[in-house]
Amino acid sequence: MTILHTNLRRLAGATALAAGLASSVAADDIVWARYGDIDSLDPHRATSTLSLQVWSLMYDTLLATDADGLPVPHFAKSWESNADGTEYTFSLQDGVMCHDGTPLDANDVKYTIDTAFSEDTPSLTKGSWGPITAAEVVDPLTIKLTLETPFVALIPFLADSFSSIICDSNGEGFGTTSAIGSGPWKLVSWTKGDRIVLEKNPDYQNFGKLAENPGAPHEDGLIITVVPEPQARLAALTTGEVHIAEPPFDDVPMIKDEGELSIIVAENTGQNVFWEFAVHRPPFNDVRARLAVAHATDAATAISLIYGDLSVPENCPVSRGVFGNDQDFCAQYRPAYDPEKSKELLAELGYSMDNPLETALLVWTGGNRQKLGEVFQAQLAEVGIKASIEIMDIGSLNARVRQENENTEGTTGSMDMMTWSWYDPDILYALWHTPGAYRGYTSPELDAMLDDTRVLTDPDARKAKVQEVFKYLLENAIHVPLYTPGWEWVFAVRPEVEGFFVAPFVYPNFSDVKLGG
Amino acid sequence: MWRFLGTRIAMGAFTIWITTILVTLLIHAVPGDPVQIMYAQSQGTTPEQIEEVRRSLGLDRPIPVQYVMYMERLLQGDLGATIRGGQPVLEVILQRLPNTLLLAIAAMFIAIVIGVPLGFLAAYREGTLTDIALMIVAIAGISMPHFWLGLMLLFFFALELGWLPVSGNGWLNLVLPALTLGLSNAAIFARLTRSSMIDVMSQDYVQTAFAKGLPKALVLRRHVLRAGLLPVVTMMGLQFAFMMGGAIVVENIFSWNGVGRMAVEAIFQRDYPIIQGFILTFSVVVVCVAIGIDALYAVLDPRIRRS
Repeated sequence: MTILHTNLRRLAGATALAAGLASSVAADDIVWARYGDIDSLDPHRATSTLSLQVWSLMYDTLLATDADGLPVPHFAKSWESNADGTEYTFSLQDGVMCHDGTPLDANDVKYTIDTAFSEDTPSLTKGSWGPITAAEVVDPLTIKLTLETPFVALIPFLADSFSSIICDSNGEGFGTTSAIGSGPWKLVSWTKGDRIVLEKNPDYQNFGKLAENPGAPHEDGLIITVVPEPQARLAALTTGEVHIAEPPFDDVPMIKDEGELSIIVAENTGQNVFWEFAVHRPPFNDVRARLAVAHATDAATAISLIYGDLSVPENCPVSRGVFGNDQDFCAQYRPAYDPEKSKELLAELGYSMDNPLETALLVWTGGNRQKLGEVFQAQLAEVGIKASIEIMDIGSLNARVRQENENTEGTTGSMDMMTWSWYDPDILYALWHTPGAYRGYTSPELDAMLDDTRVLTDPDARKAKVQEVFKYLLENAIHVPLYTPGWEWVFAVRPEVEGFFVAPFVYPNFSDVKLGG
Repeated sequence: MWRFLGTRIAMGAFTIWITTILVTLLIHAVPGDPVQIMYAQSQGTTPEQIEEVRRSLGLDRPIPVQYVMYMERLLQGDLGATIRGGQPVLEVILQRLPNTLLLAIAAMFIAIVIGVPLGFLAAYREGTLTDIALMIVAIAGISMPHFWLGLMLLFFFALELGWLPVSGNGWLNLVLPALTLGLSNAAIFARLTRSSMIDVMSQDYVQTAFAKGLPKALVLRRHVLRAGLLPVVTMMGLQFAFMMGGAIVVENIFSWNGVGRMAVEAIFQRDYPIIQGFILTFSVVVVCVAIGIDALYAVLDPRIRRS
């Protein structure tokens, strides 16, 4: 059977070759399949993880992220700031080339920043660059950034692919048909909705990016294809059409048992899955109701039931790999699993098993989150909280959460299992500083603390302030962390692939990859 | 006949016009602020940018004004730009439409080549075991969801036998999605052909032909086939629309880069300009096919030409 199988496959291969119509995958190209496509090749025009992952292969950044998720030098070999934290000077590596052969220098950095702040078409992430007022080329290897006010999150931002350096030789067609960067992989073509074809940049120099390889990638080509159906991705992995892909979630145990494909789980993803509540109306305007939910939730048991060892409980409002995260510190303040305590709080509020607290429980579709939601629903029911699950896509969820927060008149509560990922605790500013991304909980006290986290330039002082914010969010059960990671973090890899790894914040790296026999 | 076609074209144009109104209203059918929802997943979007998008979509104007603006742009061939990536919607759609049409045409071909002869055979052998067996298979074919059939074909031909690729956009890649769409439609055509043939065979003029002692094969070829195929031709038009719809599911399974998959992505990403463009394109294609089928019908049936 096996021989027949192999022969038939060869025959099919030969037919395809003869017809000359099969997809043109060279033998030494790495093929990586994902469920969707990038939105743009222009780092200023999109925000999706799918786009960021591709940019990280094609472009360089001033700084890079180490294994723990902290910023380290990369294209910028060093940097210093003034005492106020309003001026940053970066000195750049010499001899780096863009894919079109022009040098990559301070002018390209200035070009990137000027484009991000362009009047007509500012970057979608303009806000995350901070209050930059000027980018000045001191000399080709020195760039100086001036800020209106201190903004500490700038440094981790410059290590993330959001800040990819765009070569100033880019012109017509940039973002859709062309893209000139300086990263380890060069763009050959992009067929929207289908595939991105990259070839190795033979001149690449890796200064700080997490990879053993100090230079050009080992393999000649990298093809990133779109295969939306999880079962089809698994089939393509099995036939060898694809080397690396996210497997169907429920098949992970089977894949592990069979042992042919290896499963790689991304670490330090920065992904945080948490409870939040509609706080401008009863019952969750009362901290006791929120605490009752937090005390009733046994995240560790629920996760191991649904995800096995693919995910872990998280104690902090920003996950492992992000500045300030400290499991022990957060464990002191995160309401622990304690159903009795939960019942007491509910009794204080006048609820009982016969008169349960009623709430909607909003969950983002996919990734088995609906099943996880059911486990939590059962846990909540044990203490007398009646949660009705509503499942929706992430766009609807975001809009709905905001709607629920703006609705102060409703009679039942609303809580949701929210998901966020960011490379810096500044995400908490976006979520919980007035007015708040979802118009949720805010307070002058919390605002003041969050303001400080943006301007404290001393890392220790900032860490202390960030942790003060954690403490506040946890004690008041505003942002109740559940687990990490939570989406797109599992990769199945074919046996001939060596050296594949996923850098912090879910950036797969292909510089070390070798396709063996 | 020209009058007949003229009426059809006018009705088609009317249908498309209604679609343009629905498409403009679509954006308002969303609960909450559509621009907020579109950008709900984007980090760091500033209120000014949101305002700018609202202006560029004309959402700050009264609905009738919005409609006039939309039509003005539409008549110039401008379907707007995608929310994600900012590319012209028309370009994005035209890039992928040929793939979907190719898939639908290939599937139609498979459906007719398999369905019509089998239906004819069943009619010819009406009441025999062959007839019953064929119709049982047809019922099974109609009942099978595309999603399931697609995955089964994928597992069998791509995974077990390794004859065909799992995903992509070459000619070999067309086989499985076209089969998936084609097979279930073949079942529909088989049933329709059968019943239509049986119906025609019971007509007086056919009975007369038999009574004259003409050979059965000749009667079938000369008198039954042409009349019996008329409803099948009508069905082709209707089924084409269904196939375009079915393509949404099938394109996803087989990673076929067509407009159906594009629409699914756009819906999940709340990219309204693409969704609007898709619905409009879809309706134009379906209307054109329907008019084409009507014209074909007129050619095949002299009664329509003369009316």
